[in-house]
Amino acid sequence: MPSATPSGRTAAARTAAVAQTAAASIPSVEKFERIVDDYQRRLYGFALRMTGNREDAEEIVQDAFVRAYRALGKMSLEQRADLRLQPWLYTITLNVTRNRLRSKRPVNVALDALADPDALLRESNEGPPQPERIVEQNTEIALVERALLQLPMHLRAAATLRFIEGRSHPEIAEILNQPIGTVKSHVHRAVRILRRILGPQIGRFNPEGVPAHALS
Amino acid sequence: MRCRDVDALWDELRGECQASLKETVHTHLRACPSCQAVYEQYAGVAYCLSCLPLPEPSCDLAKKVVQHLAALKGAMAAPIVLSAISTPLGRLYAGFKDNRIAYLSLDTGDSPEAVAARAERRLRRRVVQGQAPPWLVSAIERFFSTWKVDDEVVDISNLTPFEQAALRAAARIPPGEVRSYAWVATQIGRPKAARAVGRVMARNPLPLLFPCHRVVDSSGDLHDYFYGLEMKARLLQMEGYRG
Repeated sequence: MPSATPSGRTAAARTAAVAQTAAASIPSVEKFERIVDDYQRRLYGFALRMTGNREDAEEIVQDAFVRAYRALGKMSLEQRADLRLQPWLYTITLNVTRNRLRSKRPVNVALDALADPDALLRESNEGPPQPERIVEQNTEIALVERALLQLPMHLRAAATLRFIEGRSHPEIAEILNQPIGTVKSHVHRAVRILRRILGPQIGRFNPEGVPAHALS
Repeated sequence: MRCRDVDALWDELRGECQASLKETVHTHLRACPSCQAVYEQYAGVAYCLSCLPLPEPSCDLAKKVVQHLAALKGAMAAPIVLSAISTPLGRLYAGFKDNRIAYLSLDTGDSPEAVAARAERRLRRRVVQGQAPPWLVSAIERFFSTWKVDDEVVDISNLTPFEQAALRAAARIPPGEVRSYAWVATQIGRPKAARAVGRVMARNPLPLLFPCHRVVDSSGDLHDYFYGLEMKARLLQMEGYRG
């Protein structure tokens, strides 16, 4: 928090300055290129983790930006002033991802697997996960990627936002439009399942020769 | 505190949670090696995930998005206005934009919404419904007396160059006469493209004004028409065709 205000500034000038910065930061279709520049990498990373496929991720990001642009064009100034851009963009990206994956292939995770992580494991041991091409060539990293892709979509989203994107529980709740309690429980279930899938890999995981304990 | 409760609190403890809660959990962990081990594995999972690289999108992703949006902007900025006009042939739907006609459809009994949807698909532009301005009414009236249309009042600029060339060639056929698909193809320097010309005529967004009804088989057979062969014959007859 900035503790000191330049003493020479009057209250009115401060208010005007605040209003100006606020107006400059209100998202609009006129400033959309800037928004694309600012967020394309992040949204791409998120879509890539969700799909495991570069082409899909790029198309998802394009589609998400087009949707965002359309939606912004229909919003009033007040609505745009209240809009929290970053979580909103993540939400759109997630929705596009969901639609896309849903239409691409039927859900191959049986419902009871969600209640019983072991069922998911048994299934995953029967063969490599269908869908996505794994992005990374590095075996250790590919193992983690594959494990993440084995999670059902809602748990994958929670785990990606929490551990890869480093979002807080309230932020994730906003993006996923879920109560915080649900987010916490999804994150926890995701971690439990990943722990089982990765099993003994966890302790050995050492992508670049960094000692694991140095960071955990 | 039971092991189950401790288990569920792992992620919570990484954030800023109450100091007292932290203390309670840590007390449990010191006394419970199995929970301790699970916690370490959870931390390992989080570490594995945090190590996943963030690959760069291809360098033209932002460019692609911006191009896509530019196209969208054009479509959003200027919608085509679709209006109904009565003519000697009955009701017509004419879509216009910037004082030029971009779409025409005879009334086939479809609702105006259905016609608008068709126009939107054909032209890939937003279409709204509205009143016909006087210039549009008189342009259509003029067409039905002269059977010709001024190049200034039609807009086919968003069609492909081939489509535009074929339609312009068809417009050079004098009223009351017919030419073959092959003739149009030769006119535009693509003598082998008679069938492609047929396709353009079939998808003509401005029937009547671009007279695809004057384009027929090489044998002189009327061949086909979107609004039916009867309509094609009727139009030609109205223009003075003696076939």
